[in-house]
Amino acid sequence: MKLFKSWLSFWVRFFFAAQMAWQGVTINPLRSGLTVLGVAIGVASVVSLMGIGEGARLAVIKQFESLGSNVIVIKAHDASAEFAPEEAEELVERVSGLKYASPVVNTNAVMRWRRARGQVEIIGVSADFPELRDHKLIAGRFFTKWHVEQRSPVAVLGYNIGAGLLGGRSPVGQTLTLNGQTYRIVGVLEKKGSGQAENIDDKIVIPYTTALKIAGKRTVDELWVKAESAKAADLAIAQLGRIYRRKLGLDVTAPKAVTGGGQQAPGVGAEYPEEPQPSPQPEEQPSLDLGKDIITITNLNTLVEEADKANRVMTLLLGGIAAVSLLVGGLGIMNIMLVAVTERTGEIGVRRALGAKKFDLLLQFLLEAFYLSGIGAAAGTAFGIWGVDIFNRYGFNAVISADAIKVAVFVALSCGLLFGVYPAWTASSVPPVEALRR
Amino acid sequence: MEILELKGISKEYRSGRGTVKALSDINLAVKKGEFVSIMGPSGSGKSTLLNIIGCLDRPTAGEYFLDGMKVDRLSDDKLAEIRNRYIGFVFQKFHLLQGLDALGNVELPLIYRGIGSAERKRRAKEALDAVGLSDRMRHRPSELSGGEQQRVAIARALAQEPLLILADEPTGSLDSNTGRTIMELFQKLNAERGITVVMVTHDRDMAGYGRRIVRLLDGRIKEEEFIVKM
Repeated sequence: MKLFKSWLSFWVRFFFAAQMAWQGVTINPLRSGLTVLGVAIGVASVVSLMGIGEGARLAVIKQFESLGSNVIVIKAHDASAEFAPEEAEELVERVSGLKYASPVVNTNAVMRWRRARGQVEIIGVSADFPELRDHKLIAGRFFTKWHVEQRSPVAVLGYNIGAGLLGGRSPVGQTLTLNGQTYRIVGVLEKKGSGQAENIDDKIVIPYTTALKIAGKRTVDELWVKAESAKAADLAIAQLGRIYRRKLGLDVTAPKAVTGGGQQAPGVGAEYPEEPQPSPQPEEQPSLDLGKDIITITNLNTLVEEADKANRVMTLLLGGIAAVSLLVGGLGIMNIMLVAVTERTGEIGVRRALGAKKFDLLLQFLLEAFYLSGIGAAAGTAFGIWGVDIFNRYGFNAVISADAIKVAVFVALSCGLLFGVYPAWTASSVPPVEALRR
Repeated sequence: MEILELKGISKEYRSGRGTVKALSDINLAVKKGEFVSIMGPSGSGKSTLLNIIGCLDRPTAGEYFLDGMKVDRLSDDKLAEIRNRYIGFVFQKFHLLQGLDALGNVELPLIYRGIGSAERKRRAKEALDAVGLSDRMRHRPSELSGGEQQRVAIARALAQEPLLILADEPTGSLDSNTGRTIMELFQKLNAERGITVVMVTHDRDMAGYGRRIVRLLDGRIKEEEFIVKM
């Protein structure tokens, strides 16, 4: 038997079912409103919570990217293993694919500027620093390798410091003193933003040779190198691993454990540079290769990927938790639809008697569920976007994620259909005699 | 020409302890243009019979021919189509949809037939006109009196241009005066348009509007009586 005689017949019935479904929604506004609210809350929580997760993920990526791309950080965690500053230059020559290198000296000093004085953080680096960390200058220029060789008292200011000195005018050419010694200001770095690039905006950059003098040291605990490309960085990690294992007198062919940043030998590990692993049992494990990582070699690219992966999982987890409320919203639809079917059994009977087929009733009740979930999804998206805005006002970095909206709306609509099917099917299979008796 | 013919129709219901026989061995034929009243006390099976005649239910045994088609074993959807095309129902409780106005209710069966809006409205208006309600088209059922509601229901059946109209206690919810006007309307439609009417009632007076009375008792046809009008 053909279900429809013609397209006209189909459209007449479809349009009518759509109309009746809408009537079903509007006939009990409070009930429909509450059902819609259930779905809307679900969608809104998915959108806003995934927005928070996504925002956190993007913030982390941005933070890593502000440290420069294809950067490898070599860090010593033991004074005995610290590097001679010249090693940085040597690495560029010895390891293929490396382009820039700089020792990094982190220290601080008392700064005097005219009559003001205060503690500032100092970072001592080589002339490669701007290329290495992708820094641009807004005024003046960076110091050169001759400045470094000659331990010149020159300083490049982080943005905040530079902007603070002369109320926004360029301080290039002026002098300031660090620990009593006079430095000439040669440049000011471009703004990176708060929390970005290890807070470079609030630091003063000077040649590492000069910085070592301030710190009273001869060796550095950190070397930063930059590879030509992401692929070169991966290859360089392996080579650097071999170099430092040999330097520490470890077996070059020892089995390599791989974590985080790439190749890693016992004693030469890879991890977040900010979080050196604490030594678990130094007395029982005196030898260098077992107790803790002496030198870590970290490919920041890999770190970004790892952190990104972790954050994606976090976002999904948040979305998953929120999806539970979406599911509850869907159950609300099913509940209300079942009530509607029971309430309208008499009506269903009349329709059946007058010639409505199962399809007509199925369609009507499915559409009703679909309307409820659709309105809920739309309202929920609006609430979710609003929620993201509110979260941001309280210091979150939530973003409106198109993916989250797509997923939430899709899930809400399929929930509506899925949970609408059973009540609709119930409605369509009530025997007309039974239904008319009501 | 017989437009409906029941041959040895039985209907059993399965209940808790066994089967209840609602109808047994019913043989009935109705010719085109007849006005038949089915009478019987409650429990005699007259509603069951009407449900079977109206293709709302299938018999347990026997054969049913509607306009020459064998309809006793058709699928639900096929029966819905048969009802839509051939049978107009008038119920005791009117069974109008509260969400639709009079016109909308009359249009309803035509929608399920898939007829376009303009044609539907024309036929619905015509039918409402025939029952004298052309001034009440935009009223909702709740804004109409019982008699008016029943007339909307009759218009709904008329709009279908059915083979027969089946009326189940059509005056049961009305006062006797209104009931009489409804019965007169049936009579008029039957006489003027030649529409076949089969009506179930337990009211002797109302049954008298028909030209033939079929009496049921305990699921069997007890007697048939032809009324000769003066």
